[in-house]
Amino acid sequence: MLNLFNTSIAFLLDPLSFFFVFTILLISLASAIYSVGYLQGEYSLRKRLYGWVLFAAFIVSMLFVVTVNNALIFLISWEAMSLLSYFLVIFDQKNEKSISAGIIYLVMTHIGTAFIIASFLIMYKYSGSFDFAAIKAACQNIPVFTKNLVFIFLLIGFGTKAGIVPLHIWLPYAHPQAPSHISSLMSGVMIKTAIYGIIRFIIFILGIESLWWGNLILIIAIISCLVGVIYALMEHDLKKLLAYHSVENIGIILLGIGASMVFIKLKLTVLAVLALSVGLYHLINHAIFKGLLFLCAGSVYKATGTGDMEKFGGLIKKMPQTALAFLFGAMAISALPPLNGFVSEWLTLQVFFIGAFSVSSGLKIFFAICASLLALTGGLAASCFVKAFGITFLAMPRSAKAKEAVEAGLSMKIGMFFLAFFTVVFGLGAAVVFKILAKVSQSVLAGELAPINFSLNNFTINIQEGNFVYLSVPQIALILAIILLITATLIYLFTGKVKKYGTWNCGYYKLTPRNEYTATAFSKPFRIAFGFFLKPYRKTEKLRESFYHVKTFKYETHTTSIFQEYIYKPILAFTFGSARFIRKIQPGSIHLYIAYIFATIVALIVLIKIF
Amino acid sequence: MHTYVFLSGILIMTYFMVIAKRLPPLISSFRLQSLFLFLFTVSLAISGGEPSLYVVAGLILILKVILIPTLLLRIIKKIKVNENLGFFMNPQLSLFTALLLTYLSYLFTFRVMNLIDRMQAASFALALCVTLLGLFIMVFRIKALSQIVGLLVMENGLFLTAVTMCRGLPFIVEFSTFLDIFISVIILGVFVYRINTLFTHIDVNKLDNLKG
Repeated sequence: MLNLFNTSIAFLLDPLSFFFVFTILLISLASAIYSVGYLQGEYSLRKRLYGWVLFAAFIVSMLFVVTVNNALIFLISWEAMSLLSYFLVIFDQKNEKSISAGIIYLVMTHIGTAFIIASFLIMYKYSGSFDFAAIKAACQNIPVFTKNLVFIFLLIGFGTKAGIVPLHIWLPYAHPQAPSHISSLMSGVMIKTAIYGIIRFIIFILGIESLWWGNLILIIAIISCLVGVIYALMEHDLKKLLAYHSVENIGIILLGIGASMVFIKLKLTVLAVLALSVGLYHLINHAIFKGLLFLCAGSVYKATGTGDMEKFGGLIKKMPQTALAFLFGAMAISALPPLNGFVSEWLTLQVFFIGAFSVSSGLKIFFAICASLLALTGGLAASCFVKAFGITFLAMPRSAKAKEAVEAGLSMKIGMFFLAFFTVVFGLGAAVVFKILAKVSQSVLAGELAPINFSLNNFTINIQEGNFVYLSVPQIALILAIILLITATLIYLFTGKVKKYGTWNCGYYKLTPRNEYTATAFSKPFRIAFGFFLKPYRKTEKLRESFYHVKTFKYETHTTSIFQEYIYKPILAFTFGSARFIRKIQPGSIHLYIAYIFATIVALIVLIKIF
Repeated sequence: MHTYVFLSGILIMTYFMVIAKRLPPLISSFRLQSLFLFLFTVSLAISGGEPSLYVVAGLILILKVILIPTLLLRIIKKIKVNENLGFFMNPQLSLFTALLLTYLSYLFTFRVMNLIDRMQAASFALALCVTLLGLFIMVFRIKALSQIVGLLVMENGLFLTAVTMCRGLPFIVEFSTFLDIFISVIILGVFVYRINTLFTHIDVNKLDNLKG
């Protein structure tokens, strides 16, 4: 431990780092532009300056995390990133929820950091240096058991930050409480630094030791996907809903990375590179559309003063541009062509299809199950965003605030459309992007694999020769546009004059917002379908004037958060229980405290003979 | 030979303190113990011929023999509390325990430390014993002033250890320790005075309301 502080800062500028730097800067730029308008009028000038300083420091710390070449500096930047984001979460200090959210975040992230530190120290024991190259070289000599331990520690450590199930509980608290441009950074970029950590430390430095590593990550990933999206469906706070979708999308990203780890171990080189590139592709896609969605949610929040979806409605008429940007994000996250989310989810599915054909027996079934669950996730995500968009923007305003909402300011619109533009770019330009990402993954796996090439041309991704699996997004876009055009023409030609009615009014003469479809109602089928997992309970309360006439009717429904109920609550109860037990030795008597010292000394004198 | 006399003096005075029932005898015994400590240090200084030890001995004389006991006695007079010490363990049992602790430190010195020089061994055992008994007084006596005296006794024991094991610490360390002791006695004295005015007693066992 002597040379601990004798380390100079050196940077590691390989393609992987460049990729993450690009992602961070892309989202930060949009977020920074957006924040100008967003913070205006919300906070005093001093508070805004403080916010910008934190914002800048936060970005710098993230850049350090993905570029440094030394495990110790990495840890320092990692910790700086966590602390700065904590201060950004509690930025809105007047809100008590922010403080408790901040505490949950702080505790969870430090549990994660503790595991990372432990794994680094184990690796340091073998390498004697914190330099990445030295650690990588030394990792060859680590015994299998220790290697497994390091892997588990790294997975828990980075998994906490990434928000994999069941370590995700801080996400739905912390992300919504931060100011929206920060939420977009945290959800879009910060949790991705954990993915960087997993790729850098597990795949690049530690090296894949056993097949079960990849399988474990796949299992966790697919569970995260499902749990994230199911909870998102149940959530009626717009930003919390988005936060749960981050859990889901981290799952999808990890599906790519986990599959890559399996392929590396099975020596399927082409597939390994493919899977990793797909993971990275979804990573940057998620950064873009999740950043965009959080920015839009922020505009809605600023206009209405609440995040509760049941209070929105009809915002498309008041804030048409925000609605359009949100629609782009919603389509992208629901994997609708020709936007970017479609490309990466489609590719992830292809990885599992091709993978299922390339691996043997048991794994075949496992891959098939992963693929089907991923498809289920995609469907649920789409329905979730039908809810999010429909309830928020369509129909009539449900509250006075929603009625008085005004369109977001210029800088906010620039921020949103900047990212909306990129959802299109990363969709249509898929072939080019993928070519670059393949290079990045090849550089990561260079030690493991011989160099390979994908057959790519400018419009089509041909992911495996001979199997004729290819994707051309511009073609799809063209076909979609043509279908749309034909349909519109047909409607115009054959229906003639357009008649206007109120939507779904069933002949009723006057509809009020109370007749509207609510988010709770929309998600009810899912609440029933996933009842075994969500354990919903409901309470109805009727006040009757007579048997036939109900005066008031109250309906309440909640879902049980089983992770909190069955994992975190017992742990907390145990901790507090043991603390209460230990507190018995703290009666406050000075004599007793001195007596402890006295007894200890005497015991030591008596026992020293033994040692 | 006279060093053994001084050492026994220190030990006997410590026993006196263990069985003392009232505050003034406790403090007078402490004064006498410090006097023996002073004499012991002077005798060491004469045999060892180290000039700095004379200064340290002088400090003991001024602080521990004259100033601190006088100060403590004045506090007792001023706060006018019941002079009884208040026992958690009666004097007879205390003396018995003190003897056991002496035997324990003797065992520790000869079995574990393996000191060869008899004189050094004896004074180390004694020093350990005095430290333990200082702690003992702090634990088993109720009045706040006995905690101060217990602390001073412990300090005497530690000083004895330092002086026998390595002929005293560097002068500057010794000097600052004495200054610390003196100041802590003043501060603790003030505290005792304040506690008395606030609670009308100085029984430490009644001060057990935990804050926070």
